[in-house]
Amino acid sequence: MTAQMFFIGFFGIAAIWFGVVVFRTFSMVRSALALLFSQTALGAMFLTMQAEFLGVLQIMMMATEMSIMAIFMVMFMMDPGGMGTMDMTHQKKLSLWAGFVSFVGGVAIAVFVDWGPIAAIAPGAAQQTVDLGLELLGRSMLIFEMAGLTILTAMIAATAISIQPLKKKSQ
Amino acid sequence: MTTLIVVILLIFGSYLVAVLENWVNNGKFRLTAPLFAAMAMLGRESILSHKPDRLFFEVAPALLLISALLAAATIPLTPNLIIADLATGALFINAALVYVLVALLMAGWGPNGAYAMIGGWRFLGQLMAYAMLVVMPITAVVMRAESLFTTEIVVSQAELWNIVYQPLGFVLFFIASLALCFLPPFDLPTAEGELAGGVEAEYSGVRLAVFRFGRLTLIITLSAAIVVFYLGGWQGPLLPPWAWTAIKILTVTAAMLITGQLMPRVREAHLLSWGWKLGIPLALLNILIVGILVLVFPT
Repeated sequence: MTAQMFFIGFFGIAAIWFGVVVFRTFSMVRSALALLFSQTALGAMFLTMQAEFLGVLQIMMMATEMSIMAIFMVMFMMDPGGMGTMDMTHQKKLSLWAGFVSFVGGVAIAVFVDWGPIAAIAPGAAQQTVDLGLELLGRSMLIFEMAGLTILTAMIAATAISIQPLKKKSQ
Repeated sequence: MTTLIVVILLIFGSYLVAVLENWVNNGKFRLTAPLFAAMAMLGRESILSHKPDRLFFEVAPALLLISALLAAATIPLTPNLIIADLATGALFINAALVYVLVALLMAGWGPNGAYAMIGGWRFLGQLMAYAMLVVMPITAVVMRAESLFTTEIVVSQAELWNIVYQPLGFVLFFIASLALCFLPPFDLPTAEGELAGGVEAEYSGVRLAVFRFGRLTLIITLSAAIVVFYLGGWQGPLLPPWAWTAIKILTVTAAMLITGQLMPRVREAHLLSWGWKLGIPLALLNILIVGILVLVFPT
């Protein structure tokens, strides 16, 4: 139990630390990969809490997602390597307030929401996968299908916007 | 103890892959060639490029090696010779191998060189093409075994290997594996003769040795994964389990290396186009067929 607590704390601090690194660096790739390692640390926290499937999934999904984010950041930033002297920050006060409000909101949710009884023993890892599958295809199916459909719509819309119109032949 | 045995086997396996690669590429079968190559690499100066992202540059080769080793940890070589028989084993292999992408991005971005950077980002595009062709065939394999345990996947093939049960999945996974190890014809991130080595271009000396070793380990790990998912793992008549595993892995490795020799390098745009327009529909079809088979002929 104490070892478990230690590792939860360790990975939690690692997640926060990498989260801080995201904003401390001016290199876009470093920033994106710092966010990746922050998320990987979260995945490790899941593993420590014996939620094996969720942990492995988190560790797997984030690697691709953050890498894709990295290339977009490199594409759209004027100084992606952060080697120039350009200041790439903006709206500092607004960001500070937005960050503070989200933090307070997150803490409030964590403290005041009734999370129900705490499970004394986590079910076996294989059983968890089965339970998760039943949950996803049962009670939570509508939510997940809606989320999936929304993401798909957004992807199609984004692709449609980014396709360059064909040039007219006459010109 | 198991960990030690598996690591030693992986090192030996990587050596054999290097011998095979040399044989296939140059037509010369020399058992000492990889040793001399390694000695030469380790003896050379490891040059640092101008203004590198030092952290990425140093971490990338190690991360490549680590991700291959982690993936190997959930692959059973015999019924008992497996480092971690996880309840999410089949998923974990994939999770570990995604970090090959992260390693190559780091190796591309780190040294502050144009060729390396192009190679690194190219692999991101390559992942877009092959990622679904890794996950979806594994899904079909898992559907038949009704378990994510890699050992149970092997046991599920006792009567009929998956290569016969779901040949479409095998072909797709085999191609995706070639792309994942960036072997020819999918060697876009390194691209000899075009990108001057791509992600490897700025590496030399010890760092290059680690990078190459990581890639060899990756190849042997993926061959082992193919054996476990499609070729019945350790199962086979007469010979002991370890012998069957070894024979199958080496055969698959040879097949992977020879396939690359027979084809020209694929263009990135073509790879993406084929991956999405042909590969993914076929992978979905494979899942459908396996689903029907599982329901009609339950074990």
